[in-house]
Amino acid sequence: MNAYVIHLFIMLCIYIVLTTSMNLAVGFTGLINLGHIAFYAIGAYTSALLAVKLGLPFWVGLLAGGCMAAFFGYLLSFPTVRLKGDYLAIGTLGFSIILEAVLKNWTSLTRGPLGIPGIPKPELFGLTFSSLELYAILAFTLALITFTVLKIVTVSPFGRVMKAVRDDEVAAKTLGKNTFRVKAKVLTLSAFFAGVAGSLYAHYITFIDPTSFAITETILIFSMVLVGGTGSLWGSIAGAFVIGILLPEPLRFLDLPSSIVGGMRQALYALLMILVIMKRPQGLIGEDTFHSMWHNVKRRFKFA
Amino acid sequence: MAVWAQLIMNGLIAGSIYALMAAGFSLMFALQRFMNIAHGSSYVVAAFIAYTFAVILKFPMWISFLIGILAAAVLGILINLIIFQPLQKQKEKNNALLLSSFGVFLLVEAIILMVYGADVKSFGLPVKVGMDVLGAKVTPVQLVIICMAPVIFGLLALFLYKTKTGVALRATADNETIAKTMGINVRFMTYLTTGLGSALGGVAGILVALEQNLEHSMGMMAVLKGLTAAIIGGIGNVPAAILGGYLLGLAENIGVWYVPSGYKDAIGFGVFILFLLFRPQGFFGEKRREEASG
Repeated sequence: MNAYVIHLFIMLCIYIVLTTSMNLAVGFTGLINLGHIAFYAIGAYTSALLAVKLGLPFWVGLLAGGCMAAFFGYLLSFPTVRLKGDYLAIGTLGFSIILEAVLKNWTSLTRGPLGIPGIPKPELFGLTFSSLELYAILAFTLALITFTVLKIVTVSPFGRVMKAVRDDEVAAKTLGKNTFRVKAKVLTLSAFFAGVAGSLYAHYITFIDPTSFAITETILIFSMVLVGGTGSLWGSIAGAFVIGILLPEPLRFLDLPSSIVGGMRQALYALLMILVIMKRPQGLIGEDTFHSMWHNVKRRFKFA
Repeated sequence: MAVWAQLIMNGLIAGSIYALMAAGFSLMFALQRFMNIAHGSSYVVAAFIAYTFAVILKFPMWISFLIGILAAAVLGILINLIIFQPLQKQKEKNNALLLSSFGVFLLVEAIILMVYGADVKSFGLPVKVGMDVLGAKVTPVQLVIICMAPVIFGLLALFLYKTKTGVALRATADNETIAKTMGINVRFMTYLTTGLGSALGGVAGILVALEQNLEHSMGMMAVLKGLTAAIIGGIGNVPAAILGGYLLGLAENIGVWYVPSGYKDAIGFGVFILFLLFRPQGFFGEKRREEASG
């Protein structure tokens, strides 16, 4: 198979881990968390540093990256869970700017703008995931695990509480739900998977620096969630595919200067974001899209 | 002593810019009730339009600046007309408005990138040696920034508190329904605040472009600093937001005396997160908790 296609597939899997976990906060719980990329960065740096400095195996780094991100997600929940949408959005965005400053300036740990090179490819069960094909399998497995776990969470009773918090927090409170704690749990879980995605990314590219985790990346992931459909895990996959692959990749083959291509890419997804908000707020695959399709099929069967 | 004078002066320079952005934010927030990230576009667009007229088309400086500010105001009003007004009619609007304003900001930034390219531009003013002002070194452009901001705020206060339109505007911000029954043209007030707010953002953009230089990506940080300042001061309240701007500027610039200068942006947001924790209604904001907490 074409190496380029496999590369796109691996990136898609990483995007899916990011978008589905972001959707857990944004779409299912209504927490406009714009700091998701910060957790991705924390996962990537934790995992990379453990591998490069201490020589720990990949799976330890993966879990440690996830846990470290989850820990920061939990910390961030303190100032933010009591806040309304706009404040939460700006607060979490601020968090990712603080983290970017730390990554750039704590040079003794992160090497600052120089980045961390030579992150080893993962080894699991005596198998080195150095070929693209093997890494694709690993990325796909992790994306699948993430999706399954998040699916289970969202259809569980806890998932219904999450949606209740989103739709009417006061009502959820009157039913005796501790909505702050629900939000804190969601942020923690969401951050965990972002950290896992970061670790997956770091060991794939084998080099990370602060520019891979700039605010613009948050917006990219966010637009995937929004365009795909908030509150729908399938939507997040669709969004990751459309905005991560379908829109930008063809532009690569146009013979244009990079500022034009970069601008076009951003213009396209910004435009798509605005259009979706205005014309199809539920996104490409909305929360109820499959449900209503199934409903239609059932109805047609009955009356046919 | 000289060090402190310099730090405070730097704080005032940065503070003036933040205050201009924050004032624009607050003005628009007072009527629209959402944090309009697209405010950053007026900052970028004004700077680039002024650059186009002044440097490329060789217009006189001050005419170019006026055109730039006017362009920012027109853009602000157009965005409001095309995007926010239809969205305001939808029922679940708060997040949709914030997010669409983010989309608009990104779109404008992308267009600027495509038109002007990614390289850094400048107005090419001759570099002047700093003058001594109260023991601190200040360049002429910086002096203009420090002096111009209070003048603009004075004019804004005169308009808001002394003219009939200003009173009507504040009445609309206070209670739209009652304002409507009193015969105030609410729609016109919305356009007026967006235009005025965007113009303030435009002034900030041009001043920064004069002092430093122009980049397509300059809007993001400006918008975040402006918002942070507005929230620290108390969003929706213009004088409080202005004070918040100066507070943020001073905190950042005095803070770098204690931590490495690379953390300058982090200081601002650290202060901001502290405010979110302990005083989400802002420094001067009255206790209207439902605004901030959900």
